[in-house]
Amino acid sequence: MRSRYSITLRIKRYDPDRKRSWSQDYKLEAGRILRFTDLFRKINNELDPTLAWNSSCEHAQCGTCAVKVNGKPLLACELLVENAVAFFGTTLFRVEPITIAPVVRDLIVDLEKAYERIEKIKPYVIDPVENPHPGNAYQVSPRDLEHYVEATRCINCFCCATACISSHRGFMGPNAVLASVVRIMDPRESAKAERLDMLYSDQGIYRCHTSMACSFVCPKEIDVAHFIALAKAGRFGAKGRK
Amino acid sequence: MLAGKKFQVPLFSSSAKIKGWPYVIAWCHRISGLLLVAFVLFHIYAIQSLGFPDRYNADMKLYDFFILRILEWALSIPVIFHALNGGRLILYESFGVRDDRSMIEWLFGLAILYVAILGILMLMGTQSVSPFFFWLLVMAGGLSLASGALSKVWDRRHSLPWRLQRLTAAFLLVMLPAHMLFMHLNPSMAKDAEAVVVRLQSGFMKFVDLLLLLALVFHGGYGLVSIAKDYLSSRALTVGLAVLIALTMLVAAWAGIRITLTV
Ligand code: HEM
Ligand code: SF4
Ligand code: SF4
Repeated sequence: MRSRYSITLRIKRYDPDRKRSWSQDYKLEAGRILRFTDLFRKINNELDPTLAWNSSCEHAQCGTCAVKVNGKPLLACELLVENAVAFFGTTLFRVEPITIAPVVRDLIVDLEKAYERIEKIKPYVIDPVENPHPGNAYQVSPRDLEHYVEATRCINCFCCATACISSHRGFMGPNAVLASVVRIMDPRESAKAERLDMLYSDQGIYRCHTSMACSFVCPKEIDVAHFIALAKAGRFGAKGRK
Repeated sequence: MLAGKKFQVPLFSSSAKIKGWPYVIAWCHRISGLLLVAFVLFHIYAIQSLGFPDRYNADMKLYDFFILRILEWALSIPVIFHALNGGRLILYESFGVRDDRSMIEWLFGLAILYVAILGILMLMGTQSVSPFFFWLLVMAGGLSLASGALSKVWDRRHSLPWRLQRLTAAFLLVMLPAHMLFMHLNPSMAKDAEAVVVRLQSGFMKFVDLLLLLALVFHGGYGLVSIAKDYLSSRALTVGLAVLIALTMLVAAWAGIRITLTV
């Protein structure tokens, strides 16, 4: 096993002041378990302080460091140098911003704009049902939870939306559909009809063509396409009940 | 097995590595759908000369050229690929079949089988069947597949055009590959104007062809509008394009109906 790699990051850059974009090569010597966020920081410290990029938790829990590496949307904080070399079979990595919102600078995109689609589908319980045990937390039975708990892992990193074949103009995007399907499956939600109207629309599930790229790239390993297909089949209940 | 080989196709592998095989297949579905729309329109145009048997026969003579024979055979690739993959998508989405990997293997296996059988039939070119018997069986198959899909896709929450597209897909899944097979059983089945006209004297055959035509035109038209909606954000542009597509498909349907009813 090699302990160090000579790698090149070919980063797509954008300068909003001059409205100019270009790609720039950074050659680095990197240890095998450095993450791509570490590499960006190394570039800032050693080569170019002007490179702009995003991250917050750096533990794959916030989704802000999502970028495309050699075309694949992923979380930069999760990608180790040695894994990247093994997976892509190269030491040259093209790094680009994700494509679901306008670029603010270099690798940073306008997340507020991206979140607009999530906000549209109201990613919370719109109209809670009455709690049978007032004063206590609402208890969701493990059997109900089992059907959608996987989908609650979503961190809205927009990797799925970036990979989706549906070009994201009209489409609310896989993660927004997912968030809505979760709340339909959630027994605490009573505003199911409002949600269904949003889903069964031109911005909703009719834009999905079951290309399953969302499931393929999701860093939280959520089978997004499965949940979207449940919506197409109208099967939101336990064990495929309507 | 099959999947192992498939995973090494050079042109597609890099894309599959980044977004998975189903993504590559979705693109192939889209491209084959577009090719099929183009071919259906051309085909409806080409059969307009059935009213003038000499011209029709002269046109069909062109297919004696080797290269056109090959192209004719190659057309079965997008047809069977799109048909079987459409079936796979409906199974995944509406029937809850989640074993997608083996579905993909079936898709490729059956497609190769169909293309090979069609090629052999084209080379032999000597088979003959009773059109009535053949189409009775095929219609029974097509309609039962469509009615099997009906209960699963006919959820009233779904938009009516979406439901109809799934329904026509299930129907076409049997009808279209059968149409190609039938036309290549014996060269005169399709290439001799007189044989075609005689066959179309039967009310049953007219009914079969009209149903096929309407299903094709609707399904293809909806597919085009759906693709347009993926790419356009302006509502005015989307509506404009949808109207244009609908008009084109209506003209094609009218031309097809006219020739079927008048020969
Ligand atoms: C032979 C049986 C066929 C089956 C089972 C079938 C099935 C399907 C299905 C299920 C879809 C929806 C895919 C999605 O979710 O976007 C679809 C899309 C489409 N089909 Fe077919 N189809 C068939 C034949 C045809 C034919 C003959 C044409 C051309 C007239 C055609 C043109 C299209 C187009 C243009 C699309 C849109 C593709 C896209 O959105 O990417 N199909 N087909
Ligand atoms: S579904 Fe997965 S890829 Fe999509 S936003 Fe959520 S965590 Fe990211
Ligand atoms: S399955 Fe649907 S939502 Fe997921 S990437 Fe494909 S088209 Fe997009």
